Amino acid sequence: MPFLVQFFQRAPSQRPLSVCFTLICLILLTCILLSLLIGAGSVNISQSWQALIGQGTEEATFIIRELRFPRTLVALVVGMALGIAGALMQAVARNPLAEPGLLGVSAGASFAVAIALLLGASAATLAAGVAQIGALIGCFFVMAAARLQGQFKDPVRLILAGAALSSLLTALTSILLMYDQRAADEIRFWVTGSVAGRALDHLMAVMPYFVIAALLTLYVARPLASMALGEKVALGLGHNPRTIRYLVMLSVALLAGSATAIAGPIMFVGLVVPFAARALVGPDIRRTMIMCLPIGPLMIISADILTRIIAQPTEMPLGVLTAIIGAPVLMMIVRAKRLPTLA
Amino acid sequence: MSVFDSTSRSYVPAPTGHWLVAIAGYSVLIDKRAIQRNALLSVALLAISVLSLGMGTLSLAPYDVLLALLGKGDSMTQFVINELRLNRLLAGIFTGAAFSVAGCLMQTVARNRLATPGIIGIDNAAMAFAVASVVGVGVSFAPSAMALTGAATATALAFMIGGGSGTRGYRFIVAGLAIGSVSAAVSQLLLTQVHIDVANEAYPWTVGSLSGRPEEQIPVMGLITLIGVLSGLVLCYRFQLMAFSDSVITALGHTPNRLRFAAVVIAIVLTGFAVALAGPVGLVALVGPEMARAFARHKGLPLLSSAICGAIVMVLADLAGRTLFSPIEIPVGVITAIVGGPFLLWILIRKPKRSTL
Amino acid sequence: MSELSQAPLGTETITLKHADHTIIKDLSVTFPKGKVTAIVGPNGCGKSTLLNGLSRVHRPSSGHIILESKDIHTMPAKEVAKKLALLPQETSAPDGITVRELIRFGRHPHQSFLKQWGMDDRTAIEFALKAANLEDLGERLLDTLSGGQRQRAWIAMSVAQETPLLLLDEPTSALDLGHQIEVFELIRALSSQGKTIVMVVHDLAMAARYSDYLIAMKSGEIIAQGTPKEVIQPSILEELYGIQCDLLDDPSTGTPILINVRRSGAPVTAKTSAASKKAKCDMAFS
Repeated sequence: MPFLVQFFQRAPSQRPLSVCFTLICLILLTCILLSLLIGAGSVNISQSWQALIGQGTEEATFIIRELRFPRTLVALVVGMALGIAGALMQAVARNPLAEPGLLGVSAGASFAVAIALLLGASAATLAAGVAQIGALIGCFFVMAAARLQGQFKDPVRLILAGAALSSLLTALTSILLMYDQRAADEIRFWVTGSVAGRALDHLMAVMPYFVIAALLTLYVARPLASMALGEKVALGLGHNPRTIRYLVMLSVALLAGSATAIAGPIMFVGLVVPFAARALVGPDIRRTMIMCLPIGPLMIISADILTRIIAQPTEMPLGVLTAIIGAPVLMMIVRAKRLPTLA
Repeated sequence: MSVFDSTSRSYVPAPTGHWLVAIAGYSVLIDKRAIQRNALLSVALLAISVLSLGMGTLSLAPYDVLLALLGKGDSMTQFVINELRLNRLLAGIFTGAAFSVAGCLMQTVARNRLATPGIIGIDNAAMAFAVASVVGVGVSFAPSAMALTGAATATALAFMIGGGSGTRGYRFIVAGLAIGSVSAAVSQLLLTQVHIDVANEAYPWTVGSLSGRPEEQIPVMGLITLIGVLSGLVLCYRFQLMAFSDSVITALGHTPNRLRFAAVVIAIVLTGFAVALAGPVGLVALVGPEMARAFARHKGLPLLSSAICGAIVMVLADLAGRTLFSPIEIPVGVITAIVGGPFLLWILIRKPKRSTL
Repeated sequence: MSELSQAPLGTETITLKHADHTIIKDLSVTFPKGKVTAIVGPNGCGKSTLLNGLSRVHRPSSGHIILESKDIHTMPAKEVAKKLALLPQETSAPDGITVRELIRFGRHPHQSFLKQWGMDDRTAIEFALKAANLEDLGERLLDTLSGGQRQRAWIAMSVAQETPLLLLDEPTSALDLGHQIEVFELIRALSSQGKTIVMVVHDLAMAARYSDYLIAMKSGEIIAQGTPKEVIQPSILEELYGIQCDLLDDPSTGTPILINVRRSGAPVTAKTSAASKKAKCDMAFS
């Protein structure tokens, strides 16, 4: 314990990354275990435990293997994707409020999915590509809008633009859905955002995109860190800020689009996770991104566990819970003495 | 322009662009341009109303509409107009005016044209509370009372978190955005807790709709709107001072916080009742005052023009929702979001003017 | 107290705080009737805070502000506004209003919803326009005026308020020399019509030249007050600004001029004295 006290007395940027990372990973592992053990159904914790160590009833084993395990895995991947997407977007926008959900990326993905459903696709076979294209368009649109007036760095205008785009796309989506009852039924379970009921096939279908995005992210991490010192500095160090920006946007669209394709729009994760990471290890983008890897899944998995407990015997939508967690963080960021512009 | 002043027995020339009405020591200035523009807007609203009454599955000529309104013409037409469409039209006019005036007042208080009730989360909070009363989670008052409570709570929170008055307009807005998204999430949560049919039935209302509104609430809404607009107009003379800094307001003999409080109370009441009736059609509060400012072009606060413009926007949006995709009816809230979203973007993108309002 | 009952405006042991930070503690001061009083002092000495306290913008946490022998915070806001006008340092006006419309806002304390316009309003506005020498600019948009003209328009708004007392917070900040003189001469003219004027001034030379009474503040306390000649003494200036200097009388106006200004404790050499003399001359005339 004295070790921990001493640890947290240090300035965030002085804390050793490995210690932070290990700590969070331990908590994450606990959460994963809990996620496998706790459910809204009839199987209680001890039965689950039995099943987990291979001695449970058939029902319990089935529930764990076929329901809770895929669900936890999806939450793990989606959490990583959204956390990293948030960190990337905030770095490139130099704006602590930039978040895929708030900036209309999720709404863009939803809209694209609704169009695809209307054109006859089925939610089960839906290619993640559709959502990604929607996400990409949403992403570029807001960034372009903000750049037009050089308001890129004005935190509030950017998210207001995102809110405007979101409300427009949501409205269009609801018109599309009114046209087609089947599409509406298929999409209803999807629009609130949830990691439940997703098969591993869904996850496997988007895995290649996550891999591409991960490689892209690895490539841009270093130039992005130099861009934190200003575009001119980055230019002087031999990077091309414009290229970097486009690559980052592409990566964000792949990550957020794929995550949205499997789990629906989940707001605020991209805001809360980098915020927590920065609070832990300071503003350096590389350190932040590494910390986002365990913190993102931690947030989604723990929120997902809560959704099963709070509204028993039914479940609460995950998207609702993340909004309830995320909004106070948004307020905290704004409440800070000076709106931090990520330098 | 001058008018005989009966007390001082002399001619007092009015300031340019005004009429002076002076009787027995009382004097009121009337902005000529405001009168002229508001008259034009009223005529437009009237024309759109008649048009809206005539359009739908049963299409009627304006003449027939007027006949039916006067209680003449065949009984079928009379029924459609007076029993079905008139209520809906009135609900649209009242709520549109209420939203728009509330928007204009909040913009003035926050000294920021983006700080309308819809954006700072008042609509969503009012909605969440109203939904709570409908789906019955322990508390069940009338939806309008609950909506009012919700609106007041959200505003108080936004002011608390946003750090008080208009000096930090943007912080206030983000606080409101956060409150709004939590409230929207809560509404969704509440709806997932009730039977799917109830939820489906409530859906149009939760995005904003004028269809099938309870008839007995419409006169109440009319009264609230009238009171709100009138008190706004009486206080307008003081509210226009809010364009100055607090020290100037104080120096001119008014208490800034009292002015703000009065304006916010009027805005909350109007928004709360309008949400209870028509759902969160908040973007009217952004479009209405903006239209009024662009069109009215008179000095001071365009409260009356905002009311009329808001009513026009609402009636037009409802008309579009009813007729464009017929037989499917698009809720008015969806139409205003489609119009209002790009409009908000446009406000954000275009060159910021020197002043925030 | 006897002094206070004669003076139109004064304070009785007021304490002014920003959040928990005490700016001014137990300060009592009165301002002479019909005179121009300038409050001077280094940055952060509390002079603007004092002015804000006097005009009710900033409420004191203890003590009283006495306006014509009544506590200002017990009087109705409108009554105070008929006696006391304030021109704050930062001013922002509604978009697209003309000079005349701005001045009309000054009539607010005298009007109400049912008494919006009368002969007295009209005469007051015409008078204010004339006093501020803005007769030809009445219909111009405020945004299109020069800095000095705009400042005169704001002062004219306070004039239209028809108050015996006028408070001005750094009325010439951000104005160039010509415009500064323009504004100060307007202030003198208003004083000669019997108004009591209290202003915060940054520039010591201007304060000395255009005021009848000087109040020097440091760290929330009054260090010296009196006529400019009484206050502008080397010892007082050293305490105020931490500088040493010599004084001369302006040959044309008789007001004191600072020369040979140097940091306290710095040795006087031919070079520093020449340099500081030049610097001070620049300062005195800029």
